[in-house]
Amino acid sequence: MKGIVKTYYLGTPNELEILHGIDLDVYDGEFLSIVGASGSGKSTLMNILGALDRPTSGRFFLDHLPMEDVKDEGLSKIRNKKIGFVFQNFNLIPRSSALSNVALPMLYGGKSRSERNLRAKELLKLVGMEDRSHHRPNELSGGQKQRVAIARSMANDPAIILADEPTGALDTHTGRMVMDIFHRLHQEQGKTIILITHNNELALETQRTIKLLDGAIIENRMNGKNQLEGCYESF
Amino acid sequence: MNLFENIRLALEGLRANKMRALLTMLGIIIGIASVMAISTLGSAMTGSVSSTMDKIGGKNIMVSLTPKNYDTQSTLQPEDYITQEELDGFKETHADQIKAISLSTGMGSGQLNSGYIHKDVSITGASTDYSLVNNVNMVQGRFISNRDMESSRNVIIIDTTLRNKMVGINGDPIGMDVSVETKTTTETYTIIGVYEKLVIDNPLFNMGDDTRVECFIPITTAMSLNSGSAATPPGYENFTIMATADTDSASFAAITKDYFSKKMGALSDYTVDVQSMEAMVSEATTMLSTLSLGISVIAGISLLVGGIGVMNIMLVSVTERTKEIGIRKALGARNSAIRSQFIIEAIIICLIGGLIGVALGAGLGSLGSTLLKFPTTPPLVPMIIALCFSMAIGVFFGYYPANKAAKLNPIDALRYE
Ligand SMILES: Nc1ncnc2c1ncn2[C@@H]1O[C@H](COP(=O)(O)OP(=O)(O)O)[C@@H](O)[C@H]1O
Ligand SMILES: [Mg+2]
Repeated sequence: MKGIVKTYYLGTPNELEILHGIDLDVYDGEFLSIVGASGSGKSTLMNILGALDRPTSGRFFLDHLPMEDVKDEGLSKIRNKKIGFVFQNFNLIPRSSALSNVALPMLYGGKSRSERNLRAKELLKLVGMEDRSHHRPNELSGGQKQRVAIARSMANDPAIILADEPTGALDTHTGRMVMDIFHRLHQEQGKTIILITHNNELALETQRTIKLLDGAIIENRMNGKNQLEGCYESF
Repeated sequence: MNLFENIRLALEGLRANKMRALLTMLGIIIGIASVMAISTLGSAMTGSVSSTMDKIGGKNIMVSLTPKNYDTQSTLQPEDYITQEELDGFKETHADQIKAISLSTGMGSGQLNSGYIHKDVSITGASTDYSLVNNVNMVQGRFISNRDMESSRNVIIIDTTLRNKMVGINGDPIGMDVSVETKTTTETYTIIGVYEKLVIDNPLFNMGDDTRVECFIPITTAMSLNSGSAATPPGYENFTIMATADTDSASFAAITKDYFSKKMGALSDYTVDVQSMEAMVSEATTMLSTLSLGISVIAGISLLVGGIGVMNIMLVSVTERTKEIGIRKALGARNSAIRSQFIIEAIIICLIGGLIGVALGAGLGSLGSTLLKFPTTPPLVPMIIALCFSMAIGVFFGYYPANKAAKLNPIDALRYE
C-alpha cells in the first residue's frame, strides 16, 4: 500500500460535514495510530480507509487504485482480501462458533470447507484461542472475543488491518495482550496496521500517530526514532 | 458462498426460533396439506372408479324403455317392445361397434329348495351374452347357451355361496335339480353352472345391500313363465350393449338412441332411454374435479396468506439481524451472498412447511379414502409438485426481504443496535 492521497468531505443529507479535507498517506508495513476525541471522525475516516464507505468528495487510492472507480462488488472483494477489521465491540456473529467466525471471511472468499477449517484453526492458535474454537461468542470473555476477532481479521491474509478502538472495551491487562498480538502481526508478518485508540500510551507504541480534531488532522508525529525503519515519511 | 453453508445457516436460525418458525409455516402447511389431501383422495377415487369400470364393464351402454310421463298410467303396447329381429338388425348394422348384447329380465324373488336347504334367491332371466357383458365369473360348469335359450330349458346358474351350502366348497352341484318357488310359479331347474359373485368395494357404485343370492335362468324361460297365462311379450324392455374397446361409447349411445327411437311410434307413452357407463363415470369425475377446484382455491388462499407470513417473518429477521448483515458485509460478503442467504432461509422455511404439509395431507387423504373404502397410495407427482411449489413460494416471498437485506448500507447496518 503506497501513496494514498485523499481529501474528502463527508456530508450527511443535512450537510453535516464530519471530515474537512483530510490528506493522508499510509505506507506499506506501517503501524499507524489515530487518536482524537470522541466524535472527531476517527471511525468515519477508518470506514473510508476500509472501503466500507465512500468519501463525499476527494480521492482515495488503495495500492494506486482509485477507489472511486471500484464498484460496490469490487469494494466487497477488497474488504474480503485486502483488509481485516477489528472493532471495539468485537462484532462476532453470535450464533456461530469461534471457528466459524474466523472462517467466515474465507467462506466469502470462496475457500473450500477443509481449507477454511484448517486455516481458522491455525489462526486461533496464533492468538492462543485454539482450545475455544467451538465456543460461541457469549461463552467467551471480552479479551477472548477480541482475540477471535483478530484471528478473523487475518483470515484471508490481508495486507492491512484496521482496528477501531480494539482495546476500548477491555481492561488494561487483556488490552495489553491484544496490543501485543498487533505488534507481533506487524513485526512478524509485516502487516500494515492502523489503530484507533484513546490510549496515548498505546498510541506511542506505534510508529506514527495522527491526531484528529473535529474532522481535521491537527498533528502527525513520529514516535521514537528507533522504531523507524525509514520506509515512510511524514507530511 | 455455497449452498450447503446457506442451508446450514438457515437451519441454525430456525432451530433458534422453533416456535416462530412453526407458526410461520402454518399457512404453508395448511395450504399444502389440503391440496395433498384432496389429490390423494381424488386419485384414490379415480383409481377405484376406473378399476370398478373394468369390473362392471366401462364400455356398457344401457338401453331401456321408459315412460314419457310418470304421472299418467302408461302401459307398454306390444308394438313398443324391442323385438329379437330389431336387435339382430341393429347388431348387424353396427357389427364393428358392438361386441355383445345382453338381455335380462328380473323375475323377482323366490325360494330355492333343495333337500333340507331353503334359501331366498332372486331370479334373473338372462341371455347368453349376459355373462360377458356383466362380467359373470363362472367357476364351475357353464353359463346359459343358445340352445338353452332356443328351447327355453329349465336350467339355472347358482353362485358359490349357495353351492357351498348345498355341496360344500369342493362339491359339484352340476346336474342337481332344485325347485324354485316364486309368487306365481314353482318350477324345477337343473343346475348347469356356478359363478362367483362380483364384489364391488366402491361406495360410488353402491348397488344396494342385496344379500340375496342371484340365480340366472334363460331369459326365454323367464319370459314364458312371467307372462303366466297371457301371451309371451313380443320383445324386450331393456338390454345392455357392450361396445368394442375402440368405440366412443358416448357417441355410440346417441346412435343407439336414434336407431331405436325411430321405431317408437309418436303416440307411444314410452321413449328410449340410453345411458353409457362412461358418461356416468365422467359425470362423477367432473363432480370430483369441481370439488377439487373449490378446495384448491381455498388452499391457494391459504398458501398466499402463508407466503405473506413468510415474507413478514423474513422482514423481521432482516431487521433483527441488521448488525449481522453489516458484519458480513464488512468481512467481504457481496450483496448477492446476503441475498441468497435470506432467500434460501425463506425457501427452507417453506420447504419444511411443505414437507410437513405433504405428510399431513397424504396422511389425511389416505385416512379419508380408507374410511371411504377406496384403496390408496398417495400419488407421487402431486407430492413433488407441492414441494416444488412451496419452494417457489419461498423464492417469491423471500425475494423482497432478502433484497432489502442485500441493499443495506454496511456502515448503517454495523451501527444498528
Ligand atoms: N450516519 C451518520 N449520520 C450522521 N452523523 C454521523 C453518522 N455517522 C457518524 N456521524 C457523526 O460523525 C461524527 C464522527 O463520528 P465518528 O467517526 O464515529 O467519531 P469517532 O469514531 O471519532 O468517535 C460524530 O459526531 C457522529 O455523530
Ligand atoms: Mg469511533
